[in-house]
Amino acid sequence: MSKNQLINRIVKTVLYVLVALFFIWTAANGYYNRIFSDSETFLILFGQHLLLVAVSSLLAVIVALPLAVFVTRPKYKKFEWITSNVANLAQTVPSLAVLALMIGILGIGFAPAVFALFIYSVLPIFRNAVAGFNSIDSNLKDAGKGMGMKPSQIFWRIEVPNSSYAIIAGLRTAIVLNVGTAALAYYIGGGGLGVWIFTGINLFDNGFLLSGAVPVTLMAIGIDLLLAWMGRAVTPKGAKSATLQTVE
Amino acid sequence: MKRLFGSLHITLALFIVLSGCSVFGAGSNQLTLGAKTFTEQQLLSEMTFHLLENEGYNVRQMSNLGSNVVRTALENGQVDLYWEYTGTALVSYMGEDPIADPDDAFAEVKRLDKENGIDWINVSDVNNTYTLLMRQEEADELGIETLSDLADYVNENPNTLSFGTDGEFANRPDGLPSVEETYDFAFGAGQLRQMDAGLIYEALYNEELNVGLGYETDPRIDQYDLIPLEDDQSVFPPYNVAVTINEDVLTEHPDIEVLTKELADKLDIEIMRQLNYEVDVEGQSVSIVAYNWLVENGLLEED
Repeated sequence: MSKNQLINRIVKTVLYVLVALFFIWTAANGYYNRIFSDSETFLILFGQHLLLVAVSSLLAVIVALPLAVFVTRPKYKKFEWITSNVANLAQTVPSLAVLALMIGILGIGFAPAVFALFIYSVLPIFRNAVAGFNSIDSNLKDAGKGMGMKPSQIFWRIEVPNSSYAIIAGLRTAIVLNVGTAALAYYIGGGGLGVWIFTGINLFDNGFLLSGAVPVTLMAIGIDLLLAWMGRAVTPKGAKSATLQTVE
Repeated sequence: MKRLFGSLHITLALFIVLSGCSVFGAGSNQLTLGAKTFTEQQLLSEMTFHLLENEGYNVRQMSNLGSNVVRTALENGQVDLYWEYTGTALVSYMGEDPIADPDDAFAEVKRLDKENGIDWINVSDVNNTYTLLMRQEEADELGIETLSDLADYVNENPNTLSFGTDGEFANRPDGLPSVEETYDFAFGAGQLRQMDAGLIYEALYNEELNVGLGYETDPRIDQYDLIPLEDDQSVFPPYNVAVTINEDVLTEHPDIEVLTKELADKLDIEIMRQLNYEVDVEGQSVSIVAYNWLVENGLLEED
């Protein structure tokens, strides 16, 4: 075991112990009681939170992936900088401001919250997908062409498998951030576990705060693990060693 | 780092000089008048400013202070007087349970603040307490005028009316739980729409909510044609506004109580909401609205 690995392992162990202690301490203080005593509300808020994340992330995928494919085609390369800039710009507006602006157009509640989260998820998905497509060794594509593959075959059999790990890494970033940002939906009546988090902050009530915040954290970790597993599963064996090293 | 310490020194020096001023200023005709961040407070402060200036006081206004800041400033003598709400003082500063009767609440804060060297004078009918709001039309249609009517309606038609509130009111023991207990009804968990309190008025107007939380003197009640449901069983604690003043300052200048008495007597919830409306909705300046009202009501001679 090298020195770095040893340090890595020690840090990890200490962190796990701290997290475990935190859970024991909070559970012993009954900070999660609200989840069980008011489970009806909890399930509603949890469901709303999941729905906010799912709908906005799905919309972002539907928009960002085709866009990334489009701007990485040699013919349309000239559009890459403008779409990147627009996506970057969208990311620089504070999320609360996007929420506030959306109220004027979409009113309060679910719709404006989904729209704001969608805006926020587009950029990481788009940028990673573009990077993934651009990182493919041109020799691979040339080889495909030499074997008589049609452009669509080159795309599906070479480009997609070889960039899939990068694309899923973008999804991971976007969705994990999205789970946290969705808490802000509370402010505009979008529901979700943010309701309990902000109530906890306003009332200085750890029971509310943790009953809201810890499930959100677990949701983010769960989604992250799921997508990490997916990323490994979809990456072809041949591409694995190379891409795993570059992305991770 | 050096620069930071430099500016810290200047700030400290200023702080000492300023607090010195108000300590020594107590003997002169110099007064410091505090106010919180919202329009109503600025109106009250501006009116008080005119009344005191008119009597020859040299008044310095310190506006836009947070609740806890202006209160601490009063305790420390950096502010000589400002308008405070009985409910806020009882619950937030003194950690007491709210008291349902306005006069009792006032008597209690006056008694409790004695030991802090703060006196409460001239309580007014302006009661900026919680209220539940509905659109005028819909309330008429459903025959709801009071919270008891609302409770009856919700009990007969469960899960039909949506209720907009902030997270705090929905969960504070003296908020929605106390309303539901007193009037014996309950909004379903799915009917609760929790959001930032400032959005509720417009959401009601846009028919995105049926019932919403509001504050009695908020001008948006008039702006959006909403009605506050009558709290017929007095579940909401009173938040009457009154002058809080440093005891020594009042002893030195007993006429301040007389000067602000007529102002406190003449104001009520409707007038306050109207004045807030003129500033917040019509966009008139605080000082003009305050001055005109004083002149119209004979509290001030026009120059």
